[in-house]
Amino acid sequence: MGRPSQLKPAITGSNRRDFFKRSGATTVAVAVAAQLLPLAANAAAASTVFQHGVASGDPLNDRVILWTRVTPTAIKSSIAVSYVVATDPALTQVVLRGTTKTNPGRDNTVKVDALGLRANTTYYYQFGAEGTLSPVGRTKTLPVGPTSSLRMAVVSCSNHAYGYFNAYGRIAQRADLDLVMHLGDYIYEYAAGQYGTARTPEPAHEIVSLSDYRQRHAQYKRDVDSQAMHRQHPLVAIWDDHETANNSNKTGAENHQSATEGDWATRVANALQAFYEWMPVRPVDATNLRKNNRCYAYGDLADLIMLEQRVNGRSPQLTTSTHATPFGPGFNQTDPGYGDASRTLLGADQEVWLTERLRSTPARWKMLGQGVMFAQLKGVAAANAAGGGTFLNSDQWDGYQPARNRIYEVLKGDATHAPVSNVVVLTGDIHSAWAADLTQDPNNSNTATGGYNPATGEGSRAVEFVGTSVSSPGVDSDTSGQIAGGLRFFNPHFKYINLTKRGYMLLDVNRDRAVCEWWHLDTALSPSTVETFATAFAVGFGTNHLVPAVQTTPRANPPMLAP
Amino acid sequence: MKNIHAFARLSLATLALGTSLAAQSADFDFAGQLVHHKDVVQFDFSLATAGTVSIWTDSWQSGLNFDPQLALFDGSHALQTVFADGGDSVSPATAGYFDDGQTFAPLAAGHYRLTLSAYSNDPVGPNLAQGFSHDGAAPIALADWNQPGYDINANDQKGGVWRVHLSGVEQAAVVPEPASVLMMLAGLLGVVAVARRRK
Repeated sequence: MGRPSQLKPAITGSNRRDFFKRSGATTVAVAVAAQLLPLAANAAAASTVFQHGVASGDPLNDRVILWTRVTPTAIKSSIAVSYVVATDPALTQVVLRGTTKTNPGRDNTVKVDALGLRANTTYYYQFGAEGTLSPVGRTKTLPVGPTSSLRMAVVSCSNHAYGYFNAYGRIAQRADLDLVMHLGDYIYEYAAGQYGTARTPEPAHEIVSLSDYRQRHAQYKRDVDSQAMHRQHPLVAIWDDHETANNSNKTGAENHQSATEGDWATRVANALQAFYEWMPVRPVDATNLRKNNRCYAYGDLADLIMLEQRVNGRSPQLTTSTHATPFGPGFNQTDPGYGDASRTLLGADQEVWLTERLRSTPARWKMLGQGVMFAQLKGVAAANAAGGGTFLNSDQWDGYQPARNRIYEVLKGDATHAPVSNVVVLTGDIHSAWAADLTQDPNNSNTATGGYNPATGEGSRAVEFVGTSVSSPGVDSDTSGQIAGGLRFFNPHFKYINLTKRGYMLLDVNRDRAVCEWWHLDTALSPSTVETFATAFAVGFGTNHLVPAVQTTPRANPPMLAP
Repeated sequence: MKNIHAFARLSLATLALGTSLAAQSADFDFAGQLVHHKDVVQFDFSLATAGTVSIWTDSWQSGLNFDPQLALFDGSHALQTVFADGGDSVSPATAGYFDDGQTFAPLAAGHYRLTLSAYSNDPVGPNLAQGFSHDGAAPIALADWNQPGYDINANDQKGGVWRVHLSGVEQAAVVPEPASVLMMLAGLLGVVAVARRRK
């Protein structure tokens, strides 16, 4: 989502003081942990050498990526790193020890694929380097076979400059999560003051070079709440646009000016090298880092199908948003390019891969982890037969209607393929919270002609949960809900819209239903631990449409958090 | 000890001796191909008088080839040092981050044995006879091996080429593996047998 047209005034005073108070509290916490844990003997040194924390990610049923970054006291060509994996927080029940190394060519980042682990098991891990030990991290492998429960947090749009990662901090306190899914915009590329003034980005200019992207990632990894979340949960992350540049596609981006910022392919390569260096992500294809679509089988309960929607296949966005709507200019189905079937969001290869996985997976639920909203979003409503109305955002699936229709055809099935049910689309990108039934013709109330009944959900083929941002701004002025209400009026397939709050989604999935809870923080403009349950919606197995739900019950006796 | 010489597929034909053996300080360049993760190549060298000696690899090539591990033993095969990278400090123009290298200033006169293995196949004890850490493992082809410290993002260090350079030593040579010695012996015996039949 683009930058705002108006900049908010700089945040000063108490926020900065609070930040430093908070940093101090963290130091105390580390020191206490050191007393409790003899292995963490040198907390002060660890806080320097391992100042970017530890992280884990991309768990499979027998392995997980472990990550850290070593900051030596002097520049070194090569740094030896040890690691240990155990089943207890004190690291006494060791199941794996190993050595690795890193070098400046990797920005001294460390990535280990810890192999030979047991399925559905919580592990604790720690790195050692330069004579010191890292904080202890906690992670978990995926289950295999019959599986009854998945509980995960879903986040997106964590803009360091725009505020504090309070949502991360709350997620870190939830011991009963299996993993955290990040749907992109993990970092933002802007210069100081361009998009958020709560904190000053490093470097202060817009990031373009490899060094720039590395510095920005490093700054984000020093955030106390980010470190807390990473330390406690494995991450499954995809990138959206801001990991490269705003509204990116395969050949360029809205926020990339070749005349002054150079070749787009070079910038993407810089961005992705830094991304893979700094994120606990296992590359899909080392020869093509742009390819990032991958699938995680969460036992037989759910497939987590993670999509790449930016730089590997996406066609350039439509540029026909000139039609007036009450919510700003939009584009129509009759506009040039709209019906061009060769335009794609995923690219041909990924479309084939997704189609095959959706049709063949034995998983009970198919969760699509992806960046941009799949549901239609109109500023002027009309059934398809009446022109389809006016869409608001050409960067989301609305701008790629033929490509989206191809996905719907898979869901609907055909003469040789059974329909695909129980698809749950998980989305980030737009800094606001939405729950949607997914239908190709939401403003056509006649289900006999492919329409949709908003009262019953009939005509819905799947559902979508859109998570609000961790810190990036929504339409924060909509405190009365008037804009959200207007959008729902034109878009009856949305069951919930909140444009003003920062937070995260909590997915609780069992064999009978998938529930999404929206949790909101009171603010992102200053450090806070105040969160509230906003609402919940569910989809029952085999129903493919939303119903209101209540808050789920946390798991009893979860594994201990890492110290 | 048997496994120390398990570089059966080391192609001696690829060895390139940079200079002839000479009874004076000289530079020697060796190159070859490691095939398995547990392979170890050994070199003997000597110097008559103490002097500055540099030993380094430059074959890592930013991960094109495996991460080499050098270890230096004395003439009685007592471990002197296990190199900890450092190749780029000895030869900044040619060696990379994970190349090994060290300059001994001076190294005492005497006979030495140098070993080259794939990190982290280290000597397990103070004497060469104690072998290397991977000796008991089933051989894994380097091309199929995720070497400790490899870059997951690049899936690198799958190549087997190695290059070792010794500067300031007086004699240096690759130690033939037992299998090679046996083959040479068998060849000699064959020559003798043919010669006898001709008689």
